[in-house]
Amino acid sequence: MGVRALLEVEVGQGSLAPTSVRRCLAWVALGGVAYGACMGSFGLRPLQCLISAIKTPLLISAGGLFCIPSFYVINNLLGLREDFGQALRGIASSQAAVAVCLASLGPITLVLYSGTDQYAFAKALNGVMFLFASLGGQIVLARNYRTLIQRNPRHRVALFAWLTLFWFVTIQLAWMLRPFIGQPNDPTTFLRADSWGNAYVEVWRTIVNSLR
Amino acid sequence: MNLLRTLDALLRGGYTDVEHIQDGKIQVPIRTLVRLAVLLGATYGLMMGLFALLSWDHTGAALLQMLSSMVKVPLLFLLTLLITFPSLYVLSALARTRLGAAQTARLLLVAITVDLALLASFGPILAFFTLSTDSYPFMKLLNVLIFAIAGLAGLTFLNRALRRWLGQTGAESHETGELEPAPAEAESKTPDAFHDSLIKKTVGLIEQRQSHLATQRTRRLIVGWCVLFGIVGSQMGWVLRPFLGDPDQPFELFRARSSNFLEAVFTALGRLLS
Repeated sequence: MGVRALLEVEVGQGSLAPTSVRRCLAWVALGGVAYGACMGSFGLRPLQCLISAIKTPLLISAGGLFCIPSFYVINNLLGLREDFGQALRGIASSQAAVAVCLASLGPITLVLYSGTDQYAFAKALNGVMFLFASLGGQIVLARNYRTLIQRNPRHRVALFAWLTLFWFVTIQLAWMLRPFIGQPNDPTTFLRADSWGNAYVEVWRTIVNSLR
Repeated sequence: MNLLRTLDALLRGGYTDVEHIQDGKIQVPIRTLVRLAVLLGATYGLMMGLFALLSWDHTGAALLQMLSSMVKVPLLFLLTLLITFPSLYVLSALARTRLGAAQTARLLLVAITVDLALLASFGPILAFFTLSTDSYPFMKLLNVLIFAIAGLAGLTFLNRALRRWLGQTGAESHETGELEPAPAEAESKTPDAFHDSLIKKTVGLIEQRQSHLATQRTRRLIVGWCVLFGIVGSQMGWVLRPFLGDPDQPFELFRARSSNFLEAVFTALGRLLS
């Protein structure tokens, strides 16, 4: 399956484009490693490059893995068991699309890194890149789900459930896997010493503290 | 393997679909259902107990907490069903569902098993948050949320099964009962097209009315069941606590009776948000 087939999601005779989860995972690994290496190159530290290259595919795929059991049961309850394979392939290809989009943005990140040494700028830049890549993933997900929803409107509920679960877990995962870029002045570590916190609790505390 | 196949069929609505209901019976082996419920509940209990294992200093006590959570989660559901069953059955009889006691028990067990299956499937997510969080109030509220979602799903399942059942028995009654004279009458008088269409219209209207009544009865019954099961269930959960285990308190099989479920939820919210 090429990039074009992955992103365009050509639909023929009412069935989805043939994709396989394994191939999607391969895309996630490839694209994630490529972008992670670019992202970690801020401050030109090879070790950070390597760490980010490992973390990015994890970030893209691991959150989904935690949610698959619940998603499976929810699909069953909605009476969508027959379509579960296709739904899963749709989701896998949306994650592959995120990775491919990220990888395609990698060179831009490199160019923009070269003009700055501001850590805050690097963080914001990567935020924007991830935002764009997620949008790409969303588009592919919507395309994959269109046929499913046409077949049975209850797929809309399943999709909503997936997005809620996935983002709930992935936000926490992203928090745990920090730092992705790494403050150049600090020693390079795989995880932050204080990373075993809860993103939601932390965000709430930050809001409360700023209001005091 | 057999259990898994049963669970699979259950989740697909295999035991509560039209073909199974047609012969007037909901055929699910009760023993299998109970076994499944225990297994699924224990799985979720294991994930709950993980919090104690990670946040307590004393590993032995934490393992005990884990074990007690594994027993308590299935117990919570099965005990609640046992206690509320008489009143649930009376309600169902009052609503004229034509469900026998054994049928009602099976239907409720199916709903509980679906509930527990969803709980168990949330296990990995709970485990992930347990690994990364040491905030006790957050974990408490996350569990309340997961239980609420699973409960809602079980309820939706119950609602659908019950509606199918009532629709089926309602249709049967009109086939065999009230409407039988109508076609005979039509034949004896003027069997013209107009008459036929009139009869069809009447049948259609009666069917509509019947399905409307079925919906209404289902809704009333579900609300009644829900209130009863919910009140007893939350109290039962309160009696059986701790499920997670407060890191600041020693292991106890049961806590001293004080306060109630709702108050505890609001206290946890207050602690999390302060």
